[in-house]
Amino acid sequence: MDSRFADMLRPFLKYAGGAEITLESSLRDLGLDSMQAIELLFAIEDTYQVSLPDELLTDTTFATAGSLWAAISGARQC
Amino acid sequence: MLTLEEVLAVVAEEAGQADLEARFPVRSLEALRSSGLLGLVVPGEFGGMGGGYAEMVDVTLRLAREDMSVAMVFAMHCQQAATLVRHAGPALRERVLPALGRGELYLGSVTTERGKGGHLLVSESATTGDDEVLRVDRDAPIVTGGEHADAYLITALAPGATSPSQVSLVYADRAQLEVSVLGGWDPLGMRATHSVPMRLTGAVPVTQIVGEPGSFRDIVTATFGPLAHLGWAAAWLGAAAGALSRVVGHIRSPEGRKQFDTESDLLLTRLAAVRGRLEVVNALLRQTLGAVAESADLSAPPVRMLVNTLKVEAATQCFAAVDQLVEVVGLRHGYLRGSALWLERVFRDLRSASLNYANDRLRLANGVSVLLDPEVRLA
Repeated sequence: MDSRFADMLRPFLKYAGGAEITLESSLRDLGLDSMQAIELLFAIEDTYQVSLPDELLTDTTFATAGSLWAAISGARQC
Repeated sequence: MLTLEEVLAVVAEEAGQADLEARFPVRSLEALRSSGLLGLVVPGEFGGMGGGYAEMVDVTLRLAREDMSVAMVFAMHCQQAATLVRHAGPALRERVLPALGRGELYLGSVTTERGKGGHLLVSESATTGDDEVLRVDRDAPIVTGGEHADAYLITALAPGATSPSQVSLVYADRAQLEVSVLGGWDPLGMRATHSVPMRLTGAVPVTQIVGEPGSFRDIVTATFGPLAHLGWAAAWLGAAAGALSRVVGHIRSPEGRKQFDTESDLLLTRLAAVRGRLEVVNALLRQTLGAVAESADLSAPPVRMLVNTLKVEAATQCFAAVDQLVEVVGLRHGYLRGSALWLERVFRDLRSASLNYANDRLRLANGVSVLLDPEVRLA
């Protein structure tokens, strides 16, 4: 998880406050809303120049910062 | 044990009066209890009938031909029961499933909340507690059949929740709660569901939390949401199919043959259009049943869109079908209370369909999902 990742996520996590975002952080609990999914995908594409494959767009991928980071890392290696 | 046919006879007999008085169909519920059907989706090892979602849909369709309110009550009970079967921990399973399997328990659903605008996945109802006990104080504006439920599944914030999405689902027996009814129920349709505002207060062991604390969203995705939409769609389709059946019977009766020209292009194309709407909903219902049964992850956008589309289309098409039938038969049989075709009751009942978890909200969610699926993978 690089430093840009937490900065990219923070605007989507309205309940995160000033707390540190770790791999274990639950994105849902911190306020990620499914209605924001498109904006988050755009942010990922703009930050890392990758598109997540369609089949990874499930609740499991967006469960924690760590699971989303793993999906992005996987996509970058393709 | 009553057979399904015997249950249907009781439901048909009680429906008109329950609608008129906007009261819960107590005798129909008793008949359902006596038939064992309240244990339809409970596995045989717990004394249930071991039915799946397809069986729930089939029974709901049959009930809805007699009374859409009873069908909704039944489908929503099955939704709660299946949720317990799939997500309750060992202690709760042992406590609840035997009585549920015998068909003795009618489960009420407490998911509505003032001020959250129908959002299922968030809550503002705090709970308190410790490692052993959870204290609930829940105000709910609409609890279908709530006055008659033997137990409830209640959504509330997990203790210490730091965001409104950390919602838990909690099981509580009526005896564990202080239950008060806060108001009446006098709606346009669905009158026999007697969906009253209630307050439920009490303390339950933490083992009665269904699934992990704060994980209601996962339960909704896997079970609660798909079953709601399947059950509601079945209730609406059954109600509209029953209406068409009575209209066709009327047209073919001696009285009807005097009124209708069965070679009229207008009559025939209208009837075909109504039938076509029901065929579309039935096909969508069967397709969704299959996709829900076969998909490993129901959070994938293609399945999510299919499940939501079923609800939206069933609500729209079934109401439109009955609206068209009113046009076909005219004022006397289409609009007046007391007609043997009772289209006006079904029309009023089905008007609720688009509002019963709002179509608009599901279209918004589907709009996001459309953008998440550029390949357009049809489930």
